[in-house]
Amino acid sequence: MIAAKRSTTILANLVTWSLVLLISFPLIWMVVTSVRPQTELFQIPPTVIPRSITFEHYVKLLQETPFIRYFLNSMILATSTTVVVVVVGTLGAYSLVRFSYRGRETLAALVLFTYLLPSVVLIIPLYLMMVKLGLANTLTSLVIAYTTFALPYGLWLLRSFMAGVPEDLESAALVDGASRMGAFVDVILPQALPGIISTALFTFILAWNEYLYALVMVNSDQARPLTTGVMNMLITSFNIEWSLLMAASVMMSIPLIIIFAFLQSYLTRGFGAGGVKG
Amino acid sequence: MTTYATQDRTRNPLERRYALLGVALIAPTVLILCAVIVYPLVSAIDLSLFSIYTPTLKGNWVGLDNYMQVLGSSGFWGALGTTVVWTVGTLLLQIVFGVAMALLLNQNILFRSLARSLVLFPYFVSTVVAVLIWRWLFNDLYGILSHLLIQLGVVDMPVDWLGKMPNAMESVIFVGAWKFFPFVVIAVLARLQTIPEQLYEAATIDGAGVFGRFFDVTLPQLRDVLTIVILLRTIWDFKEFDLIYLLTGGGPVNSTRTLPLIVYQQAFGLNQMGVAATYAVAMMVVMLAFMLIYLYQARRQTP
Repeated sequence: MIAAKRSTTILANLVTWSLVLLISFPLIWMVVTSVRPQTELFQIPPTVIPRSITFEHYVKLLQETPFIRYFLNSMILATSTTVVVVVVGTLGAYSLVRFSYRGRETLAALVLFTYLLPSVVLIIPLYLMMVKLGLANTLTSLVIAYTTFALPYGLWLLRSFMAGVPEDLESAALVDGASRMGAFVDVILPQALPGIISTALFTFILAWNEYLYALVMVNSDQARPLTTGVMNMLITSFNIEWSLLMAASVMMSIPLIIIFAFLQSYLTRGFGAGGVKG
Repeated sequence: MTTYATQDRTRNPLERRYALLGVALIAPTVLILCAVIVYPLVSAIDLSLFSIYTPTLKGNWVGLDNYMQVLGSSGFWGALGTTVVWTVGTLLLQIVFGVAMALLLNQNILFRSLARSLVLFPYFVSTVVAVLIWRWLFNDLYGILSHLLIQLGVVDMPVDWLGKMPNAMESVIFVGAWKFFPFVVIAVLARLQTIPEQLYEAATIDGAGVFGRFFDVTLPQLRDVLTIVILLRTIWDFKEFDLIYLLTGGGPVNSTRTLPLIVYQQAFGLNQMGVAATYAVAMMVVMLAFMLIYLYQARRQTP
């Protein structure tokens, strides 16, 4: 009986880990390709383990391509979107959870509805709007466009996090003479902080990864973020340098790797609160 | 509405002040959403009644002509069919792989949190990165995928993964499943961890085997979360643009051109903004059913 149990455990480990490695293989391959000398890339058949390691593609990426420009653009873009969404969303979510006024429930349902809308429906009018406002080809136009999906999403996440803060805590502060906003700052904000961090991370990742709006709204290297910038490197190059593109992919995933390494619990928390449970 | 109004009058001043504060706090959200969602949405419907040339943005009112043209064209129905094939195909793989992986990860395995992180990663990685990696894996000359399959003896020539049918559709569906199945894993895994152990013990005492326990205990417990996950993923897969556009661009010869791609193509490739808006609105109407069911389910399941 015990022996049988042990062998099932070993089997479960084997099956699970082989699948996990299979799923991660493309990502491993990305890293391997990015550190492999160009000459080794085109040998047939390809070998899985590189014979020597080089960082020349990374050097080339940083020195000879506008990668750093794109990276900075993406940083500014994702950070601004996150700040806007977190500030506006936190106030809005507090209002939706803890105040009663006419139309509150309808509004909550509408937020959820907007969160499901396809971007291709909004993109044409938004593009026309940006052209009219003279904002086409700017990072500002992208921040505005990104709020279309990030704000409903952030609001929805924050709403469920705030609903989890015990109402008694706020009442106690009010009895002690705090104003509503005082109680919000002293009681709600600290309690909801993990949820706010989690929302900020999700918003940042969404903005960092966005492609379609960037493709339509921005047409100059000055304001181009990483997604369209790196894709442009693929389309415009005469012969495709895969190791360079893989190095770009690795660099592009760095914020994500940092979040994964240090803040992953916030991501799983966000999943439970917003995306799935509604 | 009237009952609310009378309630308003009977409330004490403090509560009314609170209500005002509540409205003030939500005001920025409402204003932004009106500007970037409500107005564009109304505007999209309006645009769909015009014929607009993208570079000049000049146009004239054509009424329902665009709709007649779009609904009468094989382009729309073909793209709708392609969208359904893509959505159903990738969703099916996502659900099957997702539930299976969640069950495996729910077991007592070594370095479980590392395994979970690795499985989760494709979901968070940018679609651009995912597509670049897969196009490299699929590369017709130096791609590792064909070489591995040749070495294993599965095929004897490099495979054209994206350039011909049905390979292109299968590849897109598969990459979509790889990218999005972690969403199912996380949702299902979270739910699995809350199923009381007693239910399994009781089932074991009743003589249920591994499969019996899965179908009698696990699956019914997962029903609610799976309903939500399937609805959400249906909506998201249906409107997916990046992955398909970047992998195949809709080709070969429009055979992977889904509705979101046709909207983009009409607006910015063929410069027909009005017709593009018509496609977009028609697509949204198709999606509306799923969106409404999701809203209903989400409300039902929220206590």
